[in-house]
Amino acid sequence: MCMRVFRQIFCLKNLIFFMGLVEDLQAEIEARSLTKGGWASGNGSRASVETTCYGLMALHDRRSDARDIAIDFLLQIQNRDGSWPAFDGDDAEGCWTTATVLIALRFANAQFTDFEKSISWLLANKGREGHWFWKWKFKTVDRAVQFNPDKSGWPWFPGTVSWIIPTAFTMIALSQWLPCCRAGEIRNRIELGMEMLRDRACPQGGWNAGNGIVFGAALKPHIDSTAIALLALSDNADPIAIQGVKWLRLDCIDCSSVYSLSWATLALLMHRDGALNRCVVNLLRALSANSSVSNIEALSLAVIAINAVQGNGNPFQVGV
Amino acid sequence: MNRRDWLITSAAVTGSAVTVRFRHRKYSRDLRPKQSRVAILHADQYSDRLDELVYEGLRLFNLDVRGKSVLLKPNIVEYIPGKPVNTDAQLIGAAAEAFLRLDAASVVVAEGPGHHRDTDLLVHETGLNDQLRQRKITFVDLNRDDLIKTQLQANYSGLGELWLPRSVLDSDFIVSMPKVKTHHWAGVTLSLKNMFGIVPGSRYGWPKNILHWAGIHESILDICATVRPHFVIADGIVGMEGDGPLNGTAKELHTILLSDDPVAADSILARFLGSEPSTVMHIQEAGRFIGNHEGVVL
Repeated sequence: MCMRVFRQIFCLKNLIFFMGLVEDLQAEIEARSLTKGGWASGNGSRASVETTCYGLMALHDRRSDARDIAIDFLLQIQNRDGSWPAFDGDDAEGCWTTATVLIALRFANAQFTDFEKSISWLLANKGREGHWFWKWKFKTVDRAVQFNPDKSGWPWFPGTVSWIIPTAFTMIALSQWLPCCRAGEIRNRIELGMEMLRDRACPQGGWNAGNGIVFGAALKPHIDSTAIALLALSDNADPIAIQGVKWLRLDCIDCSSVYSLSWATLALLMHRDGALNRCVVNLLRALSANSSVSNIEALSLAVIAINAVQGNGNPFQVGV
Repeated sequence: MNRRDWLITSAAVTGSAVTVRFRHRKYSRDLRPKQSRVAILHADQYSDRLDELVYEGLRLFNLDVRGKSVLLKPNIVEYIPGKPVNTDAQLIGAAAEAFLRLDAASVVVAEGPGHHRDTDLLVHETGLNDQLRQRKITFVDLNRDDLIKTQLQANYSGLGELWLPRSVLDSDFIVSMPKVKTHHWAGVTLSLKNMFGIVPGSRYGWPKNILHWAGIHESILDICATVRPHFVIADGIVGMEGDGPLNGTAKELHTILLSDDPVAADSILARFLGSEPSTVMHIQEAGRFIGNHEGVVL
């Protein structure tokens, strides 16, 4: 498959050839579906919820057993409180994957009616710095990590502080499910999440995992954190988003990672940035490298990104 | 009670609480060897010459790794050009080669970066990918491995159990390969702290924030009591001092430290960085059950 991808990049003059490539990648993803449903991450043999969400998004419009049993799998392992665990067999504690599942199920048009509990779980979950005691601590005693604890989002797991990626995913999920219920609360939390993202942007633009500054020094942004935050901050006129896009545009020029380039493609597409074509070329080039193709998350994200560029839907789209 | 009295009383109460907390035995087994051994190798720079240097250094220990699966756990945090925050790729490659020459059945390099979700990118940017490809060594992303729920063999953090990667638990011989650095919260980040990287991001997030809330020193002790590194190869050729793990300035130590005891290794390395090991809580406490503070220098 790698050789085929490689040939397509260099033999076709026009980049609008993706259909064959996407089908190849989708077939590869289907073939790696687990018997019980879903997909494993990395070297694993048990289904990972996050990886399964990406796999499902990649096959969302395909008639496929793998797609159908992935949906069944996700619905079966939902926790009683409406949240989702991190992987098949995990403890019944919810985590950030709750947001990614909501995004995936909606995108795949899955029959899912029990969403109110999931929304409630997300609304009840917040970064630990949102508690008055920790706000006080971060404002007075612990100033090494500089951020405004009044502006909190969502943690990876309950009981810890807010981080960029889970905050952005949850904002996207809540935005997409906004008409369902508790609209006022959802809007307030999304607004607070936006403030948190703006507060923690890196000075040069973009986002690291959490704060932009630690011990007075600016941290280096990451492509995936930046792209995912930009998907949540979909307002093209937001100055922090503009700065983030500017950073992303420059950094994805030399990037060779399928995973990061796929996220960058989705974000640049949403922000209608001129660097999109170059990013897609880099993504195709990276897909031809052997090392990246082994990773099911990266493969799925590549399909999602290419499909989105083709106009076949962006699962992370908000405000539509 | 005035403000001064209140502060003194608070300090006394806190001090007593900490003392009481550590007086009780919190570990289930004593892992200390009868004697610990250390070798301090001199190296001016990262080069191909490390292959022979590390191999000869390992031979001093007469390690029995024949037929065993060896897992090298370097410290790969973030790629920041010009800042020596990661274990150098050349040294990792040299260590892998040396264990294969000592007839290990297999050698893998495994890491679960704390902040960075794109492990492929990090491995590429740090130059590790080139080393691995050149030497045909497999890399395992510990953030995305199969996980096994594991009872912790000490109870400093109160976590009780952690989901840990199968690749680590199934390995016969684990080598912690830290970058020698100071650390803002932990004091130093050496072979014991390096084991934070085995805790999987897919289960605990990026970063593994639960460990910070449970206490960094306490979590280090619980993890190392459960998965004690069998050996240490520390990258002190160029270390880092300052507000680690990410911010700081290069400190040329021209040293690779090898040891069969992570506590002995960290005690010596802490001194290299200007810290007394007794002032670093996890090193001090680890001397009670994980290893010895002193070792014979080979």
